[in-house]
Amino acid sequence: MAGGGDPKWQKDAADQNFDYMFKLLIIGNSSVGKTSFLFRYADDSFTSAFVSTVGIDFKVKTVFRHDKRVKLQIWDTAGQERYRTITTAYYRGAMGFILMYDVTNEDSFNSVQDWVTQIKTYSWDNAQVILVGNKCDMEDQRVISFERGRQLADQLGVEFFETSAKENVNVKAVFERLVDIICDKMSESLDADPTLVGGSQKGQRLTDQTQGTPNANCNC
Amino acid sequence: MDFANRNNTANKFVCPSDRQLALRAKLKAGWSSSKSNEPLRPEEQEAIISVIRRNEEIEIAERQRVGRLVERVEKIKLHAVERGPNCCRLCGDTFGLLRPQRLICEDCRKSVCAKCSVDINIRYHNSERTREIWLCRICSETREMWKKSGAWFFKGLPNYDMPRSASATPTATPTVGGSRVVQSCHGTPTRAPRLKKLTIRVQDSSSGSSDSAQSEPEDELDGAKAKTGCKLQRDESFRLRAYGSIRSFIDNGERKLSNSFFFSRQAANSRPNTATATTTTALAAAECGDFDSISMSNASTVAQLRRESSFMRRSSVSSSWSFSDSSGSNNSATQQSQSQSQSQSQPAHCRDPLLGWLELAISYRESFHSLDCTMVRARDLPAMDAAGLADPYCKLNIITPEAHTKYTRWQRTKTVHKTRNPDFNETLQFVGVEPEELGNSLLYVALFDDDKYGHDFLGAAKVCLSTVHSTTQYRISVPLGVEDQYSSEAELSQNWPNGKMLISLCYNTKRRALVVNVKQCINLLPMDNNGSSDPFVKLQLKPDAHKNKKHKTSVKWRTLNPIFNEEFYFEASPHDLNKEMLIVTVWDKDLGKSNDFLGSLQLGAQSKGERLQQWLDCIRLPDHFHEKWHALAPDNPTH
Repeated sequence: MAGGGDPKWQKDAADQNFDYMFKLLIIGNSSVGKTSFLFRYADDSFTSAFVSTVGIDFKVKTVFRHDKRVKLQIWDTAGQERYRTITTAYYRGAMGFILMYDVTNEDSFNSVQDWVTQIKTYSWDNAQVILVGNKCDMEDQRVISFERGRQLADQLGVEFFETSAKENVNVKAVFERLVDIICDKMSESLDADPTLVGGSQKGQRLTDQTQGTPNANCNC
Repeated sequence: MDFANRNNTANKFVCPSDRQLALRAKLKAGWSSSKSNEPLRPEEQEAIISVIRRNEEIEIAERQRVGRLVERVEKIKLHAVERGPNCCRLCGDTFGLLRPQRLICEDCRKSVCAKCSVDINIRYHNSERTREIWLCRICSETREMWKKSGAWFFKGLPNYDMPRSASATPTATPTVGGSRVVQSCHGTPTRAPRLKKLTIRVQDSSSGSSDSAQSEPEDELDGAKAKTGCKLQRDESFRLRAYGSIRSFIDNGERKLSNSFFFSRQAANSRPNTATATTTTALAAAECGDFDSISMSNASTVAQLRRESSFMRRSSVSSSWSFSDSSGSNNSATQQSQSQSQSQSQPAHCRDPLLGWLELAISYRESFHSLDCTMVRARDLPAMDAAGLADPYCKLNIITPEAHTKYTRWQRTKTVHKTRNPDFNETLQFVGVEPEELGNSLLYVALFDDDKYGHDFLGAAKVCLSTVHSTTQYRISVPLGVEDQYSSEAELSQNWPNGKMLISLCYNTKRRALVVNVKQCINLLPMDNNGSSDPFVKLQLKPDAHKNKKHKTSVKWRTLNPIFNEEFYFEASPHDLNKEMLIVTVWDKDLGKSNDFLGSLQLGAQSKGERLQQWLDCIRLPDHFHEKWHALAPDNPTH
């Protein structure tokens, strides 16, 4: 991934030179490290001071993935319940979710199921989700083992990462993986369901529909 | 912070449990019911608003980007030839042994040559097997557009802004009605354009009163350039004068009616130099030749010609017709307001004798405050179909002194079918008309041609009500005039719930084919649960002996105002076209169930009014596009 870690995200916002635009949303309980995670990815910066996010915020970053420039608009949401009406309004436009919990906080892990319900309620049904256990650098305070996190992810049918925004562990990997998953989904949905686009072409499509499910004319 | 104890919602920093969510859902009070009611502080609001603003900038850029993507595909589509199965869809090359190899596009299943297509290697999802498929350039670009715009995710194109400079694809402004500029007057009697550039003031010489003498100097042509300061006052006085003159005119008209009241076209012009031979020829050219080729740019010259024409036509009536032309003046902003108020009070005289006559009887019952208007009969109405007949009906309203229509609902007579001389004999009643209102109100009658696919204007008349007395029935015959803002208002009051379609026809002599360009639709019915539809258009030319005269457009996802801009070729000789009918139906694409019907339109030699006119224009003037808006009818002609 080129461009990762470049502190030039401000320029990215106005940049129109890209192929795809994905909107991602980071959700999870308050103080699990969503904002830190985003700052680490977009600015490569970290501060341990806790500042609660007001409602919603976003950052823009363009990455280069498999010959395609992908512009990411990453939404950072407030975990607090009182902003819920604002944050849920942005679920609908998101193609991917990073559902985050804190490995040192049992409560945040227990809430994951509820967050999934929220996603199901408010987002498009083909939105992609990645489960992320943050703060994995704090081994001494860990209460959720890697194994528990992985099991939950399997249960939910999503991919799983343990990360640390502070130590910059797996941060980039999470975003890369999410971009990949969305790219896969994209070529799949277009090739598997030609009526989607095929409907926008003239002419009738006859019974010639039995060639299986073609995939991935994009290499993502 | 025990998870099991969270049911008391004491901890508002965590997401509610399933049980809580289920309970909330049952409450029907919305998801906010259990939220803390603490409102956002001003600084919080500010922070959120600034984020929303930043997002807006991105959204605008994104909409423009998607617009550019759409435009790109549209441009490629525009250049497609679509000449049939033996030719490349895009470049039109024919296939053969020594000619380009024929490939079938994976998506549209049409034939393309290798030059105009892309081969992509696709890998099956679960196996390592790969297969090469071909996509024509249109389909591959469409796929790219779906990917790049995010349409693949949202199952439809997001909102987008077409680039401003996209003048290559002439999309009409999606405003309903009122946007008709200068249009041709072919086949049907001459009419003035609906966009009025001309206002004519009338003064009846026979009234001979002092006000006419007073106003004489300021009613000269240059009177229009009078200062704005006194304009309001002038308009007011003018209106009163106009009402007075209408009354006397109608009285006059009634008296003269017995011995043919048609305006005699003597060359008794008060301004002789305007009616030179050159103007007449230029005028003839303008009246016959103003097809769609006449754009806004030269509309003013047309207006000029029309002014002359109407001058010639009307100046012979009485010696004191005076004109104020607002289109030619420079200070159009102020002039416009003036002309508007003038055209509102524009009397009923500005008519073309060809539009026919209306005989009506009016009586007022003071005890009920009701005005009974009997539409007796109409004569010599313009023909609307190929047989030279029409299906007329009247629409009535009262125009108040403020030049507004009094009733929002127009009264309407029944339709009398297949005649140009209908006997209506129908009484319509306006209730709530005060006696003092009669003195300065007008009765407005507009005649329309009834048709499933749009109601065409036949003629209109205004009758001053001041002569109506409560005791006797007031019976008059009035000549019918051209369209004005009230008639368009009457037409707009017509409910077309199925929306409208802009369609363009052209007979291509080189390819001996009718070219149909489905441009766009507006106000379609929402059929899907999301309050939107996924419209597409089917076209069929009937009778269809070879079963090859069927086409359909692409599906425009999640929109009620789709822009198609798609062109289709129907091979037919011009002679055949006289017997053919183009059946256009709009459908809502549904995946997994049958498509919903959204509306229909029929164009052909059997259709009427504007639809017939467009059809005939297309035959008479081939190799030109003839574009018109039509209403969509709710019934399905294919059933």
